[in-house]
Amino acid sequence: MSQTPRLLELSGVAKHFGGLYALSGLDLYVSEGEIVSVIGPNGAGKSTMFNVVTGLYEPDDGDVRFRGDSIVGLAPNRITRLGISRTFQTVHLFPNMTILENAMVGQHCRSRSGVLGSVIRLPSTRREEDRIRTKAKESLAFFGSRLAGYRQDQPAFALSYANRRRLEMARALATDPVLVMLDEPTAGMNPSETLELRDHIVRMRDDLGLTVLVIEHDMRVVKGVSDRVIALDYGRKIAEGTYEDVANDPQVIEAYLGTKAAG
Amino acid sequence: MARVPTASIVRAGLVGGAVAIYVALVGLYTRFADLELVGEQLTLGRVLILAPALVASYAVTRPRIVGGERKPVGFGGGLVGGTLTGAVTGTVFASAVWFADWFGIDRIREIFVQATEALILFLTFDKGVPAGLPYLIVLCVAGGAVGGFARTAPASIRTPASVGVLAVLALGLLQRIVPIILFELGIEADWLYSPTTRGLTWRGAAGVFVVAAAANVLWSRGGTRLGEHIRRTVEEAPAAKVGLLVATLAVLSVLPLLLGTVISEVLGQVMVYVLLGIGLNIVVGYAGLLDLGYVAFFAFGAYTTGLLTGAFLNTTTGAAEPALSADLSFYVAVWIVALMAAGLGLLIGAPVLRLRGDYLAIVTLGLGEIVSIITASRWAQPLIGGPQGMRGVTNAEIFGLDFQKDPQAFYYLALAFVLLALFVSWRLGASRIGRAWTAMREDEQVADAMGISTIKYKLLAFAMGGSIGALGGSLFAVNIGSLSPASFGILISITALAVVILGGIGSLPGVVVGALVLIGLPGLLREFEEYRLLIYGGALVAIMILRPQGLIPNVRRSRELEEEEATQDAWAKGATGEAEAVAAVVPGGALGGEPEDIE
Repeated sequence: MSQTPRLLELSGVAKHFGGLYALSGLDLYVSEGEIVSVIGPNGAGKSTMFNVVTGLYEPDDGDVRFRGDSIVGLAPNRITRLGISRTFQTVHLFPNMTILENAMVGQHCRSRSGVLGSVIRLPSTRREEDRIRTKAKESLAFFGSRLAGYRQDQPAFALSYANRRRLEMARALATDPVLVMLDEPTAGMNPSETLELRDHIVRMRDDLGLTVLVIEHDMRVVKGVSDRVIALDYGRKIAEGTYEDVANDPQVIEAYLGTKAAG
Repeated sequence: MARVPTASIVRAGLVGGAVAIYVALVGLYTRFADLELVGEQLTLGRVLILAPALVASYAVTRPRIVGGERKPVGFGGGLVGGTLTGAVTGTVFASAVWFADWFGIDRIREIFVQATEALILFLTFDKGVPAGLPYLIVLCVAGGAVGGFARTAPASIRTPASVGVLAVLALGLLQRIVPIILFELGIEADWLYSPTTRGLTWRGAAGVFVVAAAANVLWSRGGTRLGEHIRRTVEEAPAAKVGLLVATLAVLSVLPLLLGTVISEVLGQVMVYVLLGIGLNIVVGYAGLLDLGYVAFFAFGAYTTGLLTGAFLNTTTGAAEPALSADLSFYVAVWIVALMAAGLGLLIGAPVLRLRGDYLAIVTLGLGEIVSIITASRWAQPLIGGPQGMRGVTNAEIFGLDFQKDPQAFYYLALAFVLLALFVSWRLGASRIGRAWTAMREDEQVADAMGISTIKYKLLAFAMGGSIGALGGSLFAVNIGSLSPASFGILISITALAVVILGGIGSLPGVVVGALVLIGLPGLLREFEEYRLLIYGGALVAIMILRPQGLIPNVRRSRELEEEEATQDAWAKGATGEAEAVAAVVPGGALGGEPEDIE
């Protein structure tokens, strides 16, 4: 494991809200080129972990390192610029911007035209704008014909639910990330859409060369994509390893069955 | 077809009566009793008698929701409903007049200074109480009937008729302006405007009505297709676009020569507010930061221009040199002013970075007040003259044009500023910066997570908006020549915001139209000067009800409003079991997303 460089590393991360410990002493790492799935019952701290990594929350304790440097305390936009990009559990698009514009926002952190360039439209600004547009279209094209053609000029709110999820991922891809963090990408999708998305996640690694950290509840997806699975419960890591290892881990079974039995 | 419920008629009639009494007590009737619009009979005062009933009945005959669907009120029902509403209004109004007469108008006058004997005589058509009261009621009934007609008559009749009537009223109101223009154009106008009453002649009014109504009919027959055709031609041929631009510029540049000094002066004032609107639109419209203290930039621009161009302080003994001043040419100073104002934008923006919405509005309101108070304070007297202010601001003379004495010349200076600001604002809005602002306005937290530095772009919005607002102040200072703290009150902030909202938040053409309506119209209709604020309030309320997205809405903003309505419709339809079909097209809560609940 330790031969491949560790891209993201959390050590002893704790985050509490009042008396509630959403994360306590969490250690985990993601190596370059891996697809790592995070599973765990509701309230296990999965999304909190995402928010800590992407800078929306500051951890109360512990350290988050990206490519060896601590990113604790950086603003979310700085972390995105470093190469971590994400989607949200409940879709958060810019609903009144067009689909293309949503994707173009992703390229914002990779462009630099300022006020003067924008006002007088310097040649460099024009070239940059073309590049932004091309890159955004490439990201949309990752999802095939789903987000292509006439749709690109429609406002995002006109999209179906599954396409909103795809657009959110396209926007994340448009930031030129190294690590993509997907928060329950298949939530609310039907079985065939879920299968399609499973392939997309694998292609993010194989075709785009990205590292993927994904929170997922659908075990078929987790099984199909994961190089490694991490199970969380009560803000701690309770198991880690291949899908089979984790799925058969007694603590994981207890966490899930316990939840089921209680429900 | 829906009916108008009796309870609604009574309620609307009562409201109409209350409005009529209010209008009487603030003195609008007596003020405009002698402003003849058409002939000697149709004065603005009399039109105003019929107005409350008209508006009440227009409102009460609106389409009603029957069984979950909007249904218009039928013509017959609308006419009857409107007439009855007018009758209620008339009865209330007449009773109030009768009561005032019985109680003693002088005793009422102790509180309402405008309640005079003349008012009673005007409202009773010089016949006194009670002989004149039936006339008053009849006029209100007529107003009610017209309101019902205007809402429920077949569209082929009511639209041309309404357009015709509005055209007559507009030309009647513009009786000081239109004849001047016609004169400048060398057109004989005695048949249209009577030289004795100054209003329209009956013959002229009939002509205007027929022409306007006919134009409307023609337009509805083929005009939209024609407009579409023109639009497509312009879109497809870049040459046509350039041609249109050149033509617009040509019209703009000969405008003051055609319109004369009075209107040019008004246009100059309008353009100062267009500048303020463009600047505030960047802050409020593009970046979504509600700034209620925008006057700070206006004042800063005006005073800094004064200081940089060698103005004097007013003192009790004469004039004094400011503690700090320079004697630059206006055309050098103005760039420095813009830069310094951008700096002020950063200063004002920095402490409010973490605030959103209502909190931001309140804090900026306070900051604006601080600036107004400083301009009037003794503490700032050595620098900017305190309560006495400054005078001798440069007239920015260039090519022998005096921008203080010659309103037509000032128009060109203002036009140059406005075109520059429009260009900058348009280009910014269409760039990656504009995209970042829009994303930030739609969802600040997500924009941050997508790599947009919200701190940077908030500050940039304040700086750019502040810069353009200061140019407005600079222009104002050059035009007026002297500065006094009284010119820099909260009213400037409110008016600038009203211009932006009325035109349509985030829309540049909207800003221009908003300023024309809010500043231009009162400027042309000097008679209304004392009632300016009343009209602002009324206009804003009417816009919020009739066209909440503004006169010329920004596409995205109107989507935001439609979205809310769509959600409401979905909810309403969901109740009848059609939720599924709607849910597919309607933006759900997940997309609308409150900024706080990312989880």
